[in-house]
Amino acid sequence: MKRDQSDIVNNQGSLSVSDESIARLLCDDNHVEEAVRLIMKKYGEPLYWHIRRMVVAHDDAEDCLQETMINVYKYRSTYSNEYSLSSWLYKIATNESLKLLKNRSGFTMSVDDLGDSLKDSVREEASPNADETLILLQEAIALLPAKQKMVFNLRYYDDKSYEEIHQIVGDSVNTLKTNYHYAVQKIKDYILEHQL
Amino acid sequence: MKEFDLEGLSREMPYKMPEHFLDDMTERVVAQIGKERKHRTERRIVALFASAASVAAVALLFLHPFGTSGLNIPDYESISQCASVDEVLQNMTADELGVYSMMSNYYGN
Repeated sequence: MKRDQSDIVNNQGSLSVSDESIARLLCDDNHVEEAVRLIMKKYGEPLYWHIRRMVVAHDDAEDCLQETMINVYKYRSTYSNEYSLSSWLYKIATNESLKLLKNRSGFTMSVDDLGDSLKDSVREEASPNADETLILLQEAIALLPAKQKMVFNLRYYDDKSYEEIHQIVGDSVNTLKTNYHYAVQKIKDYILEHQL
Repeated sequence: MKEFDLEGLSREMPYKMPEHFLDDMTERVVAQIGKERKHRTERRIVALFASAASVAAVALLFLHPFGTSGLNIPDYESISQCASVDEVLQNMTADELGVYSMMSNYYGN
């Protein structure tokens, strides 16, 4: 396989392959499995945590991540260089998370109505020695409406720019900023209210 | 008013990811993609054979003696040029006439 000049060997000696190279491999039927392995190596962990922050339970995150990767394979022809590979992957992962939550909420409720049940799952899923403030933070995030939750997570945990979040979520930058502002306020209020 | 410093908070998660989870997931995904690809190849082969069979069927329809072009249906002119039954009978040999009369009796003609 021909590597890009931007493919570099990092300090640990493992090859860090550029997104352009991965995208090229993904579109090549003979290298698609290699591309999937590279995506899992480079983005598997951030995607897992992005999904887990949305759905909370590990088992759900597992299903969503697997479905995300299968969709990456199925819909690889729809990937366009217009967006970064990372944004495209996050978009698929976000859609899968929302799909799972939508299925969970059924016909009568909206995804935003799942807040309380997601909040309850946070404590069940948390490690026994987890920091209480971190648990409170996740509870507060679980209670947010889906859109605010997505924007907050992508900005706070994944350090995404508003432009990247726009590519993933689709709303205008101003709407995203407003969503982030409201999310931060609600989270702060929740933690202050529940902190001992 | 009391303010909470969100930015100063650790980005750590209160959950754990099971050990080897990502490696196992990678193998599962690659295996599933392998299956999908195999099914896709099989579907393509079946579609290819189906197309080939359709083409062959259409070709047979036109080339077979029972096909429209193979029926050899005489047009009006060629029918009008046919000899009459009496003429044909007159030109038959004794053996042929014997067979003809036998068949005529058999079919009641």
